[in-house]
Amino acid sequence: MFEAFLGGFGILFNPETVLMTFLLIAAGLFLGMFVGALPGFTTLMAMAILLPISFFLHPLLGIPFLIGVYKGGIYGGSIPAILVSMPGTGAAVATTFDGPPLTKKGKGRKALETALFSSVIGDTASDIFTIALIGPIAAVALLMGPPELAAVLFLALIVISATSSGVFVKGLLMLAIGLFFAMVGQDPIGALSRFSFGITSVESGIPLLPMLIGVFALPEIFAGIEKKASQIISAEGLKVSGERLTFAEFKSCLRTIGRSTVIGTTIGMVPGVGQVVAAFMGYAAAKSASDHPERFGQGELEGVAAAEAANNAVNGPTLVPLLTLGIPGDNLTVILVGAFIAHGMRPGPQLMEEQGSLVFAILLSIILANILFLFIGYLCIPFFAKVVTIRKSFLLPLTLVFAFAGSWVFRGQPFDLAVLVFFGVFGYVAKKLHFDVTPMAMGFILGPTLEYSFGQTVTLAQGDLLTFVTLERPAAAAILALTPLLTYLMWRRNNRLRQRFGEGAAH
Amino acid sequence: MDDTQAETSEKHLNYNSVAALIFVALSIALWVLIPDHVDKPLIRVVGDVSLPAELFPQVIAVGIFVLGIWFFWKSRSLHQRNELRDLDREAITNVAVTAACMAGYVWLMVNIGFVLGSMIMIFVVSTYFGNRNYWAGALVSIIVPFALFMLFTKVLVTSLPPFPIDEAVPSNWAIYEPLKWLSNKSVF
Repeated sequence: MFEAFLGGFGILFNPETVLMTFLLIAAGLFLGMFVGALPGFTTLMAMAILLPISFFLHPLLGIPFLIGVYKGGIYGGSIPAILVSMPGTGAAVATTFDGPPLTKKGKGRKALETALFSSVIGDTASDIFTIALIGPIAAVALLMGPPELAAVLFLALIVISATSSGVFVKGLLMLAIGLFFAMVGQDPIGALSRFSFGITSVESGIPLLPMLIGVFALPEIFAGIEKKASQIISAEGLKVSGERLTFAEFKSCLRTIGRSTVIGTTIGMVPGVGQVVAAFMGYAAAKSASDHPERFGQGELEGVAAAEAANNAVNGPTLVPLLTLGIPGDNLTVILVGAFIAHGMRPGPQLMEEQGSLVFAILLSIILANILFLFIGYLCIPFFAKVVTIRKSFLLPLTLVFAFAGSWVFRGQPFDLAVLVFFGVFGYVAKKLHFDVTPMAMGFILGPTLEYSFGQTVTLAQGDLLTFVTLERPAAAAILALTPLLTYLMWRRNNRLRQRFGEGAAH
Repeated sequence: MDDTQAETSEKHLNYNSVAALIFVALSIALWVLIPDHVDKPLIRVVGDVSLPAELFPQVIAVGIFVLGIWFFWKSRSLHQRNELRDLDREAITNVAVTAACMAGYVWLMVNIGFVLGSMIMIFVVSTYFGNRNYWAGALVSIIVPFALFMLFTKVLVTSLPPFPIDEAVPSNWAIYEPLKWLSNKSVF
């Protein structure tokens, strides 16, 4: 694995591609911050509509571009949160506690710079931890065969359904629907046609990209147009004013940033929790550890640092279960899975074995992204502050154009546009009826691998599945036996988090 | 609404109960469809222990049925709001207009090409959603589709529906040759 790590350096710093990698990461960060700064436009939507761009680039360019959007989007949400108390993304809700009071005191610039530095430190530290952790976990994951993989996928799907927002049984139903959608087309073992109803376009299955864009981007658009002129903010209140952050002020936040980074990193490794919980927990921990907790909520720089370091520290570790076991932990990493699969890189143990150097090159590019993150964020703070005022009347049709163009270029078939609209409406209705679409997307993506691994297990067992799994593959049997217990523990923990931090916390 | 807060001791039928029954009906329909819509292998080797193609669909159908029954039982104690019912007239109109624009956009994109179709869609939708600066609207409507078309076709080397110049513009028109030249350059 260490050789793969060194090989990653060679791939990343190839003189022919390194500049392009830099530029695309910078573009991803810029676009992510841009969308993150728009109230009502989420990082998820940005990643969904920009996903097609990454499809047609080399994986070393396309995936870091998308990761740039991810990181930029999470940070970008803090800008309107600080300036106008309107979080651009859910992850920035905890930033609204101290950001706006600081702006009112004329310390808006200090707050924005604190958010930036905390985000970059939290992100970088957690990324280094991710790279250090991925090698050993991947080495263990490589020992897994089809029975263990099938058991891990089964466990992951059930846990993700349990930790999705809403009622457990609704999550399971959405998972089952996703597994059904994944079955349309051909079965992964014998390539026999299933549920294609004689429609040629369906023979190869439901296309991944229009499905992902439809289910994650279009419902946000529909939700955003329910009120015509909402969220148009006066440009007057958006001046980035006040003095810059001093080194002494920054130094006073370092302990808080460190604590929040540890919290965010730990949470990032657990599927289904995410940035919102991390930000709230980081904030709560900083407040209880502070000598002057009464200042929190009144305009305390440490409050901004705590929330921002924690939510950004989640970004890197979410890649650990994704790259080592092929399990996306949340809806943002589902989009990343889509990007990996489109490049012929199915995340999981085999990926680390077959293309370990490329994976490490991508991971190292994330560190590079953090350096660019600092510069772009610092230089563009005034610009992103103005982004908040851009009219929705323009943004909505432009988002639609991106979504439709992206769906078309995948296969060039009008049918894919129908798939896009179908899943958009499906996602919107599901949202309104409190069904979380994340388990559905997970089921759709992981279903064929689960069925294939299970099929291989059945063949290996030569007809006696129970004896084979219990006697010859005890690890798989143990995972399956532990599934109900782990599912219950995760479900209970999620419910507690929801009770403590509100509904958004479990998203 | 919070999951745990959503549960009450009061039991009554609600939209979740209806959704549960729909899931049960779907599972039955799926089970009925399996024999006719899952292909069988042409040759079945004696002693073949591989996974049959219909097994997973059957497992999913049974799974949805069982979960549907569980959901129905659980739904009576759930107290979630059906947010579709909360939509006011403005929201319904906006969503319906946008959905109609999407359908129209699909038709336009396929029949008159990506650039022209997008121009019309952007201008119409931005005007509907409150833009009254028509010059700005027109400018955005022209620049963005061209830029995106160039990005996808030139930079990413993919294809978007081109303007059907030969069908839409008679070849004896003066504008035909310049447009044909631009079209050949994949500008629109």
